[in-house]
Amino acid sequence: MKGMLQSLRALLRLKPAQKLTRDYLISLFIAVALALLVGAGIMVICGHDPVQGYTALLNGALGKPRAVGNTLAKTVTLCLTGLAMSLAAKAGMFNVGGEGQLYLGAMAAAVVGAQVKGAPAWLVVVLSLLAAMIAGGLYALLPAALKVKWKVDEVITTIMLNSVAIYFCSYLANGPLKTAERGIATGTDSIMKEAAFTPLIKLSNLTTGVFYAAVVALLVWYVMSRSSIGFEMKLTGENDRFAKYGGISTGRLMIWSMIFSGAICGMVGMLEVFGLHKRFLTTVSNEFYFDGMLVAMIMRYNPFGVILMSFFFAILSIGGKSMELTAGISSELILIVQSVIIFFMAAETGIRTSIGNWWSVRKARRASGKEAA
Amino acid sequence: MSTNEIVRFSHVSKQYPGTLANDDVSLTIEKGEVFALVGENGAGKSTLMNLLFGMQKPTLGDIFIKGQKIGAQHNPESAMQMGVSMVHQHFKLVPGFTVAQNILLGHEPKKGLFYDEAAAIERVRALSEEYGLKVEPTDVVRDLSVGLQQRVEILKALRTGADVLILDEPTAVLTPQETEELFEVIRRIVEEKDMTVILITHKLPEVMRISDRVGVMRRGRLEKVLMTRDTSEREIASLMVGRDVIFDDLRTAQRAGQPMLEIYNLRALSDRSLPALNGVNITVRAGEIVGICGVEGNGQTELAECIAGMRKTTAGDITLCGEKVNGCTPRQIRAQGLSYIPEDRMSMGMDAKASVADNLLLGRQRTKEFSLFGLHLKRGAINRHAREMAKTYDIRTSGVDELTGSLSGGNMQKVVIAREFEFDSPVLLICQPTRGVDIGATEFIHEHIIGKRNQGCAILLISADLDELFRLSDRLVTLYDGRITGQFNAGEIDKQFISYYMTGGTQEVDKE
Amino acid sequence: MGDIFNILLLQNTLRTATPVVLAAMGCLMTQHVNITNIGIDGMMLIGAFFAVLGSYYLGSWAAGVGVALRLGVLLGLVYYVFVIKFGSDEFIIGVALNIFAGGLTVFLLRTIFKVAGSFSDPAIVPLPTIHIPLIEKIPVIGPLLSGNTLLVYVSWLLVPLCWAFIYKTPMGFHLRAAGEYPDALTACGKSPERMKCLASVLCGMLSTLAGAHLSLGYLTMFSENMSAARGYVAFACVIFGGGNPPRVFLAALLFGFIDALGLRMQKYVPSDITAMAPYVVTVVMMVAVVLMERRKKGKKAA
Repeated sequence: MKGMLQSLRALLRLKPAQKLTRDYLISLFIAVALALLVGAGIMVICGHDPVQGYTALLNGALGKPRAVGNTLAKTVTLCLTGLAMSLAAKAGMFNVGGEGQLYLGAMAAAVVGAQVKGAPAWLVVVLSLLAAMIAGGLYALLPAALKVKWKVDEVITTIMLNSVAIYFCSYLANGPLKTAERGIATGTDSIMKEAAFTPLIKLSNLTTGVFYAAVVALLVWYVMSRSSIGFEMKLTGENDRFAKYGGISTGRLMIWSMIFSGAICGMVGMLEVFGLHKRFLTTVSNEFYFDGMLVAMIMRYNPFGVILMSFFFAILSIGGKSMELTAGISSELILIVQSVIIFFMAAETGIRTSIGNWWSVRKARRASGKEAA
Repeated sequence: MSTNEIVRFSHVSKQYPGTLANDDVSLTIEKGEVFALVGENGAGKSTLMNLLFGMQKPTLGDIFIKGQKIGAQHNPESAMQMGVSMVHQHFKLVPGFTVAQNILLGHEPKKGLFYDEAAAIERVRALSEEYGLKVEPTDVVRDLSVGLQQRVEILKALRTGADVLILDEPTAVLTPQETEELFEVIRRIVEEKDMTVILITHKLPEVMRISDRVGVMRRGRLEKVLMTRDTSEREIASLMVGRDVIFDDLRTAQRAGQPMLEIYNLRALSDRSLPALNGVNITVRAGEIVGICGVEGNGQTELAECIAGMRKTTAGDITLCGEKVNGCTPRQIRAQGLSYIPEDRMSMGMDAKASVADNLLLGRQRTKEFSLFGLHLKRGAINRHAREMAKTYDIRTSGVDELTGSLSGGNMQKVVIAREFEFDSPVLLICQPTRGVDIGATEFIHEHIIGKRNQGCAILLISADLDELFRLSDRLVTLYDGRITGQFNAGEIDKQFISYYMTGGTQEVDKE
Repeated sequence: MGDIFNILLLQNTLRTATPVVLAAMGCLMTQHVNITNIGIDGMMLIGAFFAVLGSYYLGSWAAGVGVALRLGVLLGLVYYVFVIKFGSDEFIIGVALNIFAGGLTVFLLRTIFKVAGSFSDPAIVPLPTIHIPLIEKIPVIGPLLSGNTLLVYVSWLLVPLCWAFIYKTPMGFHLRAAGEYPDALTACGKSPERMKCLASVLCGMLSTLAGAHLSLGYLTMFSENMSAARGYVAFACVIFGGGNPPRVFLAALLFGFIDALGLRMQKYVPSDITAMAPYVVTVVMMVAVVLMERRKKGKKAA
């Protein structure tokens, strides 16, 4: 009896120290593999060859310089939206309203880019960027203020405000700001030609806008992981009573983190307009923010992780489209694969403890069985 | 099975992840006795009783109730069928339900598919009369006093006609008056109903008064079982700790200096928007410790939060180091010279998900010492500081990167104390400094508090532990229903007498 | 303005409110066991798709609804396992569920029916419309109370049923206890997890039923993303109604009214603007709830 208990104690001491990061990354690797397997399973059920499917996906994402360019451009979008989500989440705010902030940013940038005439191109770029960031930031301020002042749940309000912003922009693009140009169904006037970003790889979506994105990403990473502000945000997000008690102005911090989150979303809208469409179109975003949100959640709002995971998700989504064209597998399969990854990663700790419990119970039973025998 | 045996533990062990909560415990409880189970926090008394009551399953060993071995399917329901009931330290009552709904939860009388309210009220009335515990079946539990809530809990436990009643720390939240009533109930059910009562507690005077036998637990093991009449508080205490404990008076004679914290006619509301403070006046001078005595829930929490700027005041003034601070933010109040050890360390005193180093940093993250231009954190300096603090305050961690939430209660508290004491503030507000902390760490913390006083700090100490208050305070103030009911210099009053003021008795308070 | 404020407006109100009522009754179950379920939107979407699938291939509306309900049970169980068993973040699982539902339905739409956007076919059997003989003849109220599809009546029936279940039956007590103070339930030998499982399965079933009404009730088709954030609206209604079925029902009617009004205002106001209305109203509702609660508290203090 005694001996068994002592060995149990020894076993507990031997349990590896909680190195979350390494264990978490291992789980992530397993989850990704499982999700890809699920994807393969679905392909088989639908009568496709998974090897062929995934080959088409990889080729589509990284096969040609143009494809690489598109994948990188997608990475930038995912990464910025993911960082926007992370920035707010770090301070305990769930900004689900990035899509709306993105639309308003795109609209503001398109209007400034088209209406400011006679100014040098660089100034137009800067002004549009500012306009987009202000539009996105102010739109995020509303739910943030409601949350801080009156404790109105920001998840629901931001989701609702998404629809409001999208319809509002659609109204503008169909109504007062509709372009007179022919062949454009729902869009605003085209922005100043010289101000548009130039492609870095021919025919791809990767433009000089990537440099702006890089600067912002670097800044966000620095603030979140190395600065005293990031430290204050972290404490606010994890235990706001404690943060307040320790002299941090939690309300102000939450509001500002939301504003900057919104501003980054606005900037993504601006990058889309200046890089790709050269005007506001109602199709400026296809739930881009939600993809970024997923990336952020999977990487637990770790800025560096978000940057890496964005690349992986970009491969999936760019590759998915070409998989649809070449292998005839609907690209929505990728959404399924991505959400499976999230399911597993959200449950990661739970699954691991369940397995651990099962294992230790089994071990204890076996050991006591031996003793009885 | 001896004729008188009612419950028997045979080599029972319980393994939790990381700790062995019960280690090879063998114990027999006899019919018709009041058995006290004592031990420090975490000694495994509650765990042992949870095993008996079926809340958890033993890892090894067997438990017998009335000679019958309990099976693998043992749960609270079957425990109650076998005649064992338990009243938990934290009441298991649904706040929004009525007394009747709570007592009959899980066994509601039905009329067709529906709950039969009339029958429920009837049954609760009958039960309440049978045991002489008066309750109103239609009252909503949320609105009841703690003593009444406990009464509801006891009735719930007695509903099935139990033979064995387990009471887990029943007096922790009661006034002396309510404690007296509870003891009467215990005596009555043991004598008239021939029941057996197992009392989990760490209050030794109560053990001496009410129990027939006492079992002492330490670190999961049952150290010894004694006849109460053949033992003494001192013997039990040394068994609990594993060595002799002598609580010395730590105070040195010292004259109090300037008033540093003055509270005048302070009023505030509770979380439920009811008046919690009704005009409190307190002055704390440099170099003295003023202790607030009171039964929990009489405004202590609100008083502390008002002083620290965490709660709005509705009237009155708070003056800190000569400046009025009402309406100021916690940050401004800290800057003015207050350090605050809150009563609830998990929700206010620390961030359990952050590292020890981060917890020690809070409040200093923008100082020159730890950041460049108040922005770039100097991780090296932060970690070095944390390691120094861990050494000075004897915080036992595997490293300053360890998550604070994985430390023991005592070490968590030391983290909070280290952070707050290092500000060198002239005024300290200290709440429940040793709640859930073992005796060794308690001594350590008390020494540090006295050290601060001897350095000339003004200290306001709020505690539910009378021994602690009497040991540390230079002056004692009693708080009842949000009012000050008495002020005494240390040595002027004893513990028995002060409870009169803690429960509403008043003294001519000299207005300062 | 006579062409806006007429009996048709009220009819439309009832019609648009129904899916929200059904989903809100489901959401309310999880709300009472203290789970914030925002995955309702995804559950609705899946319900809508599989109702069409069932109705199309099995040739009856009942089969469609049956398939949807079965999926609801499955979704409820999955949700329960992830949120309660594995202790994952409710919010993340909810969002993941919504994304999964969006992906799955569109993928299946394209793979099975080989169409993009939306699928409608005469072979899809819609829900039956029920005419109540006598009431039908009553002016004004008649057309409102009669001639609705089956699930509209079911939703009306469910409101008092849910109310009675939650507030008048022992099982309802256990459900609420599991949310308000699970330890109390454990202490009397009942499992709060089981109640949470029950709530989550009920929520899944009611949400997919709401979906079935979307695709077989007032339209006979499935289109991509046809739940259009109604799951979130249902959630807001539950908050607004304080989890009390009749009040939640009223909140859903208010939403339906605004939605219907918007549709009928399109002659005068751009459709994009009217489409914004329900979402704006929901935000206003959320704020109103909080402000009302604050006022109540303030009164208590005085």
